[in-house]
Amino acid sequence: MNDAALDAALEACSREPIHLPGSIQPHGALLVLSIDGRTLLQASDNVPAITGRDAGPALLDALVDPLQDWLAAPDAPLHRQVSIDGRRLQLTAHAGPQGALVELEPVTEADARTLDALYPRVQRFMDAVEPEGDIVAVSQAAARELRVLTGFPRVLVYRFDEDWHGTVIAEDGDGSLPSYLDLRFPASDIPAQARELYRRNRVRIIPDANYEPVPVRPALSPVDGRPLDLSAVSLRSVSPVHLEYMRNMGTPSSMSVSIVIDGRLWGLMSCHGTQPRRLSPPVLSACDFLGQILALQIGARERGADARRRLKAKDAEAELLARMARASTLQAGLAENPEAWLSLVDAGGAAVVIDDNVLTAGRTPDSDVLRSLVSWLHEQARGEGVWSTDTLPSRFAPAAGCGDSACGVLAASISALHPNYVLWFRPELVHTVRWGGEPDKAADAAGRLRPRRSFAQWTQLVRGRSARWHASDLAAAESLRNGIIHFVLRRAEERAALSEQLHATNRELEAFSYSISHDLRAPFRHIVGFAQLLREQDENLSAQSVRYIDTIIEAALSAGQLVDDLLNFSQLGRSTLDIRPVDMNKLMAEVRQSVRIDEGQRRVEWRVGELPPAMGDGALLRQTLANLIDNALKYTRHREQAVIEVDGESRAHETVYTVRDNGVGFDMTYADKLFGVFQRLHRVEDFEGSGIGLALSRRIVDRHGGWIAAEGAVDRGATFRFGLPRRQPESANPQDLST
Amino acid sequence: MTGTLRPILLVEDNPNDLELTLAALARCQLANPIHIVRDGAEALDYLYARGDHLHRQAGDPAVVLLDLKLPKIDGLEVLERVKNDAQLKPIPVVMLTSSREEADLVRSYQLGVNAFVVKPVDFNTFLKAIQDLGMFWAVINEPPPRIG
Repeated sequence: MNDAALDAALEACSREPIHLPGSIQPHGALLVLSIDGRTLLQASDNVPAITGRDAGPALLDALVDPLQDWLAAPDAPLHRQVSIDGRRLQLTAHAGPQGALVELEPVTEADARTLDALYPRVQRFMDAVEPEGDIVAVSQAAARELRVLTGFPRVLVYRFDEDWHGTVIAEDGDGSLPSYLDLRFPASDIPAQARELYRRNRVRIIPDANYEPVPVRPALSPVDGRPLDLSAVSLRSVSPVHLEYMRNMGTPSSMSVSIVIDGRLWGLMSCHGTQPRRLSPPVLSACDFLGQILALQIGARERGADARRRLKAKDAEAELLARMARASTLQAGLAENPEAWLSLVDAGGAAVVIDDNVLTAGRTPDSDVLRSLVSWLHEQARGEGVWSTDTLPSRFAPAAGCGDSACGVLAASISALHPNYVLWFRPELVHTVRWGGEPDKAADAAGRLRPRRSFAQWTQLVRGRSARWHASDLAAAESLRNGIIHFVLRRAEERAALSEQLHATNRELEAFSYSISHDLRAPFRHIVGFAQLLREQDENLSAQSVRYIDTIIEAALSAGQLVDDLLNFSQLGRSTLDIRPVDMNKLMAEVRQSVRIDEGQRRVEWRVGELPPAMGDGALLRQTLANLIDNALKYTRHREQAVIEVDGESRAHETVYTVRDNGVGFDMTYADKLFGVFQRLHRVEDFEGSGIGLALSRRIVDRHGGWIAAEGAVDRGATFRFGLPRRQPESANPQDLST
Repeated sequence: MTGTLRPILLVEDNPNDLELTLAALARCQLANPIHIVRDGAEALDYLYARGDHLHRQAGDPAVVLLDLKLPKIDGLEVLERVKNDAQLKPIPVVMLTSSREEADLVRSYQLGVNAFVVKPVDFNTFLKAIQDLGMFWAVINEPPPRIG
């Protein structure tokens, strides 16, 4: 049989009605009785050989007693021993629409004695199982026990996943057969109808693949004229393809014990022998018992693991929420504990995307892919809470190259309006497979089948897939999402309250400055006005009186100026900026024009370079530049030849303007004081001014999102620079989560 | 110049400011009579020739010098009434104020003020402003600020 033929045979096998073979294996006999037990409907040819009586009334008589009670209420299968003419037989009976199916298997004296030895053995197994051991450990122990119990040279524990692909998770063997540990098998290796039979018949043995099938006659059931349904019959004959497979593999005997948890086929214990091997009914019962114990142990561990996983997720969630509540932003809170973030849903990578800002942990696709992913998600399911897939690359083309990080994605939307998401990723399953055995060695001599082929086939099936997201993962993500939304709402409320307070404070400040503007200026004006009138009115004033009056006027004027400067400064914080392109060359020309008077007879050398245009509020930038130029002029006053340089430079993200002079300079120790309100580095007698100019300049530049800095040395001149962003920062819209 | 010159209506509540403004106006050597009222309500009575001003000489003032902060009815409201009255609308109104508040400026221009003078602290500058106003009230006025 070549590979293609085998494929065809396997394909045929998956469609074959394997529950209707019309024959049984020869190590037992089958009788079909009418459900009242009075009529013999069908029988296998080997009934006389097994029971010593023909399939007729005499045999029926012998069975009346053992079956009588069960036939009255045949809900569950019957297992018991009977004795016919001194022959001890194991009787198993199932009731179905085609009658009562009665299997009879010989039991030797020796078999009967082994039963006594089996109980302590199974007891020992139960004692030996470590309560702390994981599923693999308990499976391993069961495989060892089953091998000892049956004498098969190799026992595998095979586990199904959600897609019915299988993995060998535990193995015990004497080395005479190759190891299959960790091998993967596609679901098609054990087709659905075969799995259904495994679920219904927990123990199934084929003592010798070279057996001659024993026909059951008549072939069709006298009850309904159809082939006899042998689903429930453990003696059921095996598909010829399967028998050939066993012979080719050099394993003429095999047994399987189903692991059924909560009615679902969880896996199989699968035994193979290099020699024909018959097991007595008591041993088979013990194997079934062992399988059930294993199922209970696994079930308990799965429930325990599930509970632990949920508990761990809750812990991780509580930890993350607590951090988020303390941190300044949501992202910062998540990033503080990447382990908790990842372990919440057992992910390999995680990301949070808020307003196009990306923050990641573990293995994730790069930021651009993440940004396009969230906008795609947002279009797909606007505001839907939690979304997941285990086949991202086939659903979202830009993720095609991200198999090693993101075949699976679990996305929690944290804003109804914006594409803001918390995301978790799992890599492609193939990348995560633990690969113990070597598929090449596991293949048989002829190079046909099986583990290797199966592994390749399985790889094909799981390519582009991640491990599946469980309901508990989705629940954990949903729960964190609720926490985040709650957190965001609380932040928003806090912010609203704060903003209300700020508004109130601002209103008070406005009223305050309004009243200063009106009421504080007036008295100064009156002082100056009347003093000036007095000075003019009386021509006989002594020179000293005139000097006194002038001092009064000067003092009141400078106090008035101070009030004006202060008002100017406070207004700057409140007024809105009118941002547009500003021609700085033109601005500079205007500023020079306005200072020409101050310049007077002085010798000033201007070195004004080409200034790149700025983005900003023209009137305010003009004020900034004018302040710097005023200062430059003021502090070069004592220079024979003042030199004032003005220059500009366009950088990647900002434009920088420089004003340099050769004036008195300043001590860098006090550089940080330069820009404070009313901070002065010189005595008023030396250089006039209220000390608000640079504070004002800094405020203007700050409001543009820029910076201002000064360098200088005493008597060596000063250099002022300010930088303005080339693109204005987007207006301060309330951001929906990040603040 | 023959015939009666139309009066200047000065609306000012603060006695110091009143005296300084009058001193300034005196130096301008304007021939116009100056009529003084001390609050917004009285200003409106004068303009409408009612109440205490029922029997005043007929005719509108040449210009109204209006302080912004006034008792009873404030300057902005007086301005609003004048500029919303078809009869009174042509009378030039100059807002004289201590306030440097942009909002007042914006509001005044929105209401149709003809000039807006922030009273300078320096009396000489104030004098200059009043003189310019005397000749024509539009020289020192601050340009309309940006709205928005």
